Amino acid sequence: MSETMEAITTYLAPRRLDEALQAMADGDATVFCGGTDLAPQTESGARPYKSRLLNINRIEGLGGIAADGGEIRIGATTTVAEIRRSAALAEIAPVLVEAAEHFASEQIRNAASLGGNLCNASPAGDMSPPLLVLGASVELACWRDGAAHTRRVPLEQFFVGPGKSVKRPEELLTAVVFARPAPGFVGRFRKSGPRPALEISTVSVALGARVADGRLSEVRVAMGSVAPTPLRARHVEAALEGQPLDATTIAAAVAAAAEDAQPIDDVRASAWYRSHLVKVFVEEVLDDVRGN
Amino acid sequence: MEKTANPTTKQTLIGTRVKKPDAPDKATGKTRYINDMVLPQMLIGKVLFAGRPHARIVRIDTTAAQALPGVHAVLTGQDATGLKFGFSRDNVALKDKVRCEHDEIAAVAAETEEIALRALALIEVEYEDLPGVFTPEAGAREDAPLIHDNFPGNKSLHFEFEHGDLAEAEAASDIIVDNVFRPHHVTHCCMGTSCAIADFDHNGKLTIWTQTQYPYNYKMDLAPALGINPGDIRVIQPPVGGAFGSKLDVYPYEPIAALLAKKTGRPVKVIYSREEEFKASPTRQAAIIHMRTGCTRDGVLTFRSADVLLDNGAYTSWGPTIPVIMMRTVSGHYRVPVVDFKAQAIYTNNPYAGSFRGYGNVQTTWATAQQMDMLADLVDMDPLAFHLKNAQRSGEVTPQKSFLRECALVECLEAAASASDYSRKRTEYAALRDAPGRYKKGIGLASSVHNAGGAKIHKSDGIGTILKMDDYARVTVITGASEIGQGIDAVITLIVAEELGVPLEHVTIVNNDSDVAPWDVGVHASRTTFIAGNGTRRAAQKAKAQILNAAERMLGEPTETLDLRGGQVVFERDGTPLIQLERLLRQMHFKAEPELVMVTDYYEPKSEPEGARHISDHSAAYSHAVHIAEITVDTLTGEITVDKVTAAQDVGRVINRMGLEGQVEGGLAIGLGYALSENMQIDKGMLKNACFRDYKLITAPEMPPLDLHFIESNCAEGPYGAKGISELPTIVIAPAIANALYNATGVRIFNPPMSPETVARAIHERRAQTNAGKVATPAEGLAV
Ligand SMILES: Cc1cc2nc3c(=O)[nH]c(=O)nc-3n(C[C@H](O)[C@H](O)[C@H](O)COP(=O)(O)OP(=O)(O)OC[C@H]3O[C@@H](n4cnc5c(N)ncnc54)[C@H](O)[C@@H]3O)c2cc1C
Repeated sequence: MSETMEAITTYLAPRRLDEALQAMADGDATVFCGGTDLAPQTESGARPYKSRLLNINRIEGLGGIAADGGEIRIGATTTVAEIRRSAALAEIAPVLVEAAEHFASEQIRNAASLGGNLCNASPAGDMSPPLLVLGASVELACWRDGAAHTRRVPLEQFFVGPGKSVKRPEELLTAVVFARPAPGFVGRFRKSGPRPALEISTVSVALGARVADGRLSEVRVAMGSVAPTPLRARHVEAALEGQPLDATTIAAAVAAAAEDAQPIDDVRASAWYRSHLVKVFVEEVLDDVRGN
Repeated sequence: MEKTANPTTKQTLIGTRVKKPDAPDKATGKTRYINDMVLPQMLIGKVLFAGRPHARIVRIDTTAAQALPGVHAVLTGQDATGLKFGFSRDNVALKDKVRCEHDEIAAVAAETEEIALRALALIEVEYEDLPGVFTPEAGAREDAPLIHDNFPGNKSLHFEFEHGDLAEAEAASDIIVDNVFRPHHVTHCCMGTSCAIADFDHNGKLTIWTQTQYPYNYKMDLAPALGINPGDIRVIQPPVGGAFGSKLDVYPYEPIAALLAKKTGRPVKVIYSREEEFKASPTRQAAIIHMRTGCTRDGVLTFRSADVLLDNGAYTSWGPTIPVIMMRTVSGHYRVPVVDFKAQAIYTNNPYAGSFRGYGNVQTTWATAQQMDMLADLVDMDPLAFHLKNAQRSGEVTPQKSFLRECALVECLEAAASASDYSRKRTEYAALRDAPGRYKKGIGLASSVHNAGGAKIHKSDGIGTILKMDDYARVTVITGASEIGQGIDAVITLIVAEELGVPLEHVTIVNNDSDVAPWDVGVHASRTTFIAGNGTRRAAQKAKAQILNAAERMLGEPTETLDLRGGQVVFERDGTPLIQLERLLRQMHFKAEPELVMVTDYYEPKSEPEGARHISDHSAAYSHAVHIAEITVDTLTGEITVDKVTAAQDVGRVINRMGLEGQVEGGLAIGLGYALSENMQIDKGMLKNACFRDYKLITAPEMPPLDLHFIESNCAEGPYGAKGISELPTIVIAPAIANALYNATGVRIFNPPMSPETVARAIHERRAQTNAGKVATPAEGLAV
């Protein structure tokens, strides 16, 4: 409700990154990208605006997908719709495109940015599980001592709690990067909610691995909405790593899922249902890879 | 658009597709809804809600709020003392005790919304929380906390109906099914949130702009909340963004707007945010229905009994009166020789229920239609055959004396079953139920009966109509019939054009000002096309008679040989034009003995008042619908995909085909949400999901393909043979899906919604039982 809304004194929409970073340097700016998380949160009073509202959409070089080299780079302001339509990503990382496919609705996808999805740090954020299985890192930039500084943080170290990440208030997420998946890489994504469209994930599961001679290696499994942050499912990964992809291995992975997922009861689902779904999805994505 | 019949031939408009007159304005954003309205000098009213379910107010201090610049009035319970209103006179605009989360504790009128909100934050209230009552069972317990001092035992309304000897009927039954169903809380989710603007003049007359769907009784219901005479209220109804029954009563924000307007001497607008809308709007009544139905081994129904506990919530609106309709279905859904119905509403500290499309029949049919399916299964009959065996035919009378004069239940059953290939698919899917495979297909059939010619719950079910024509043959219909999006505007236009042979665009409707338009009981009970259709037709025919009489005098041709077509007076036999209608009207008006076409009509349907014993033919018509749902169930996630709905409904006669389709589709969307995803999650009286993120309406991608069949039984009492149609689509779909789910998986859900989690859990439990070697008989059939 608007009584809790703090007054915004300055609105900025810079074209250059250094301008934006300078405007954030004292940590007293609210970054606005698609606004699809920000607007509902400020409107409901869940979080106040800071005195400066910083629109990052016009910053040159902050959007776009660079997929030519060995490292894939997706700019922070890239929308979920752009990811969904990207032919390059469909080729290189279909698991990310798959997640974009099941994201919200057309209207929201057109506004929602990749950077906003990660910075919002929701345990249900749909871009996180596929990026975790791609081994992605985020780039965080800030202005210090008269210059821009950038650090890289592996995504699995980025989230620290619901709505919380290691990003400092003066830092801007500029890009997501991940190494071009090696030949033989397979990825899968699965999410569920009570209705097909416009749904926050009740549970999501992503799998990324190399498959050779019926065995899995470099296995990464990620889960959403089963813990305070999106997480890597280490027990499931251990059950799969180096194993032949057969019924025994799949059963072991499904059993291990219960150790990784620590879901809670909330308005969207019970802990029982989330634990149940995690097992269903782990089995489903593995069966799917096995079938191919 | 020229929809006028070619003058030479009579082309009827009845059954054609006519667009709503307000559709272009709505589609282009030109419509000014009440929510958009701004009056000069208008203040904004905001309400302080209790935010706790049951409490004593120890202290309330409004000093700081009063002192805030821009604040014009702050009201509390003291300003409404004694101004009781509501069905049981148990409600008051501003409370001195908290009985539910959204109880209105104080209200502010200020120059802007921002100031009003700041003022609310400055009001200090000290509460002493009281133990609460959150289920009707808990409220009925002897030691339950009392919610209203003057309602001992927390007892609200009670209803009973008995017919025949129950013990004998039970003894004569070979099979009895006995289940408890718990239909849940849902709410209307109107796109336009609740809004009222009130203004008093210096004679003490109140003008209120509201979304009400029953403007005339609204005056009667609002007056006691303000301590004024109902005659001193003028009701204006600007365009609204939906109502669906939610505006069929007075709710506290309306008298609050008026009390603030009175105090400040300025117009005051109260408008809800979406969160307030979720918390403070009425709900569909939640209930606990213990139902038993019996039949003989060869599939003849022997009796049906229902013992219903209703969650009244904290106050009594129309919700607790739904047993009036519930019992018609318990007694009249198929040929039931013996009936025993009891319903008791119990006060709780939950949000309180109002009326909602389907009005009790959604809850009852959820139970009756599932038990029909269970019984068919237990006597090993195809449900279609079982339904046909027990279906009433035209001319039958139910135990409550509903006279099913034109009854097309059999035709509806046959049309829907053959269009969907029901019987074959049902057998095929049932055989695959326990075969391996994650995805299961199912098909389910359900039906219901509903009043289709009004319902004489009030002393009158009538409507007044005034029809006038100007010198250019433009017609104005001044009618009591409210337009809340359901499309009576198109129906009235169509009927006038049909009778008077004028273009559709030449008809104007005035129906939004209680000082202008005559009485109508309101938009409810699927009645408006039936009642206002008859009223309009009668008024138009009176006008036509007057015009043709004048034409006879002027042209020397007998009236029987004349007709009105294409804006002309023509020969009835071949359509030869004789004179332009507008010329004739001018000649009538300006001749030596002038006459103006200006007729009135009061139509009261031939139905009997409900009565205390509930034995009466309370509607002028009754109708049936049959829905067949085809679904795919993901047995692991519990997700139900509705692949197709085949719906057959007795509509009497199609009037406006486009409006009819719209009403059936919209009704189905509400019914699908009820069945699958909508659920007010109320935890100890507090609503946990007051937003569209967590309250799941059906969205466009979830709407299944529909195959609609309109059965025309030609109702003798209806306009052109039409019956009322708009509630049945909401009523029948949920149990059709439940029956399909059973067909697919062997699982029965008694407590809606059939959310993925609920379905997954039920399937999981059934498998666990089967694995443990227990026989899973979800139909709880009891062979006696
Ligand atoms: C109807 C609806 C449906 C939705 N459905 C889904 C869904 O299916 N799946 C899903 O995952 N999410 C969903 N969301 C949530 C939301 O759309 C996404 O999280 C979206 O990606 C957020 O991006 P944005 O650009 O709108 O972020 P914004 O709202 O602009 O920002 C989100 C947060 O991140 C900060 N921020 C944004 N960009 C940066 C940056 N580059 N650097 C630093 N901080 C930054 C902002 O300050 C803010 O705190 C839905 C939202 C709505 C309203």
